[in-house]
Amino acid sequence: MEKAEIGYKRPLLPPFDLSVRSGERLAVLGPNGGGKSTLLKSLIGLLPLLSGQRVFPTGRIPRVGYVPQTHRVDSVYPLTSLQVVLQGRYGLIGLGRFPKARDRRAAFEQLEKVGMPETASVLFRSLSGGQRQRILLARALCGEPELLVLDEFTADLDPVASAALLAEVAQLADREKVSVIFVTHEISSAAIYSTEVVMMDARRGVFAAGRSEQLLTAEALSRLYGQRVSLEHRGDRTVVFVESGRPT
Amino acid sequence: MSDSISVSDFWALFGNAIVAALVAAALCGYLGFFVVLRRLAFVSAALGQVSGLGVAFGFFIGSYFGMDPHAPTPIYLDPVVLALVLAGIVAAVLGYVSRVERTSPESLVAFAYLAATAVAILILASPRIVQEAHEVGDLLFGNAVAIRREHFVELAAVALAVFCSHAFLFKDFLFVSFDREMAQAVGLPVTKLDLLLHVSIGISVAVATRAIGALPVFGFLVLPAGAALLASDSVRGVLALSIGGAMLAAGGGFYLSFVESWPTGPLMVACAAIYWPLAAVYRLLRRS
Repeated sequence: MEKAEIGYKRPLLPPFDLSVRSGERLAVLGPNGGGKSTLLKSLIGLLPLLSGQRVFPTGRIPRVGYVPQTHRVDSVYPLTSLQVVLQGRYGLIGLGRFPKARDRRAAFEQLEKVGMPETASVLFRSLSGGQRQRILLARALCGEPELLVLDEFTADLDPVASAALLAEVAQLADREKVSVIFVTHEISSAAIYSTEVVMMDARRGVFAAGRSEQLLTAEALSRLYGQRVSLEHRGDRTVVFVESGRPT
Repeated sequence: MSDSISVSDFWALFGNAIVAALVAAALCGYLGFFVVLRRLAFVSAALGQVSGLGVAFGFFIGSYFGMDPHAPTPIYLDPVVLALVLAGIVAAVLGYVSRVERTSPESLVAFAYLAATAVAILILASPRIVQEAHEVGDLLFGNAVAIRREHFVELAAVALAVFCSHAFLFKDFLFVSFDREMAQAVGLPVTKLDLLLHVSIGISVAVATRAIGALPVFGFLVLPAGAALLASDSVRGVLALSIGGAMLAAGGGFYLSFVESWPTGPLMVACAAIYWPLAAVYRLLRRS
């Protein structure tokens, strides 16, 4: 994005530049209401820019796979997991969306990759929160995306399931050479799985983007959240401590 | 009714009306799938009133131009065209406004329903169209036992157009209804699809209301699909039960009306209303 202004009616931030290169994993961090989801939607074109432009080096809009938060998906629909996963391929299937054998094969492959092949004919609505997120991930990957966008997609999961799913995403992204943008509240996950990071809080005019190892410092995080944050590196893990008390 | 005429006479008299009711029921039973899933039940009720308002408005304006309501009218004054246009516009507006911030979709639907009903009643009370009031009443609220040929042709044409276009767009409509953001992310034109779906519901409600009345249309749009979603766990199953159930209720309503001499429209709705408790019991039994 070049000189981009994002928002619904008024710009949330002054114009900024942000790039996502092929194969990168970009984490978006910030407090609630700080404009993370707005940035995400603006990046992938769900929301038009107020000014500035989106530039694509290939000259065309990349194929996008999008995984929303679970609660945004209506669970009343009588759709099986396979039908949900096939939806991700509609951009590749012609008018009528009548899937061919290769489309079904691709959907089954993605179900296998997320470890859910046995749920192909199971109703999506009958699955647990973690299982649904895996199916939605399979759907996003089924469209052969060049850019995978995850909007707090582990927010409803317990820490173990969340870490496992993020690790799987990182492996899948490496294997499939897909760029990933993920919004998260988990600083340690951002430290482990991202190569780039955006830290933003539109209410206080905070916006910074750069390499994760440079930007993810205790000082920067303390500024972002208005609370003293300290980091401790243990091997390849980063442990985050947030001091309780009054915001700084 | 059964005391005075035979079945063959009944068919000769009401055959067209029965076929029209079956077509309207199939159309509403199909669209009911989206109406129920997208929580548009009361939108369909409001659209019935809005299409009625369009008809009444057509006669009212026509009276100012000295039009004979029983003679052919210019297309811009044709009550049918006005009903279709008005229902289509309101359906599109309700579809759009429901996504605008700080609006309550339920209140807007109630506004459309109440405003259309009140204005239609005021127009009907006007001395300018007092001679056509009965006919307007039939057009507004339908008369399931008497349908004009041109109304049947309109209904059949709209049903054909809806079924043909939806054969290619059904999965897109379903995707946009299920997960709008992902549908947009994979490149589907979500706003156009929403508009098309709402307009097809609006126009279908307008022509079906003319054919069988507002109450059966509202009933067929909500009751069979709601029960089918309880009874079946597959998209095909829900569609088959919803369409088949609506057609069965239409046929059953006509049969009971013939046997018992009761009003046809309410009987159709009563037949469709049976499905819901039946589906709930079936679901409970299946679970246990």
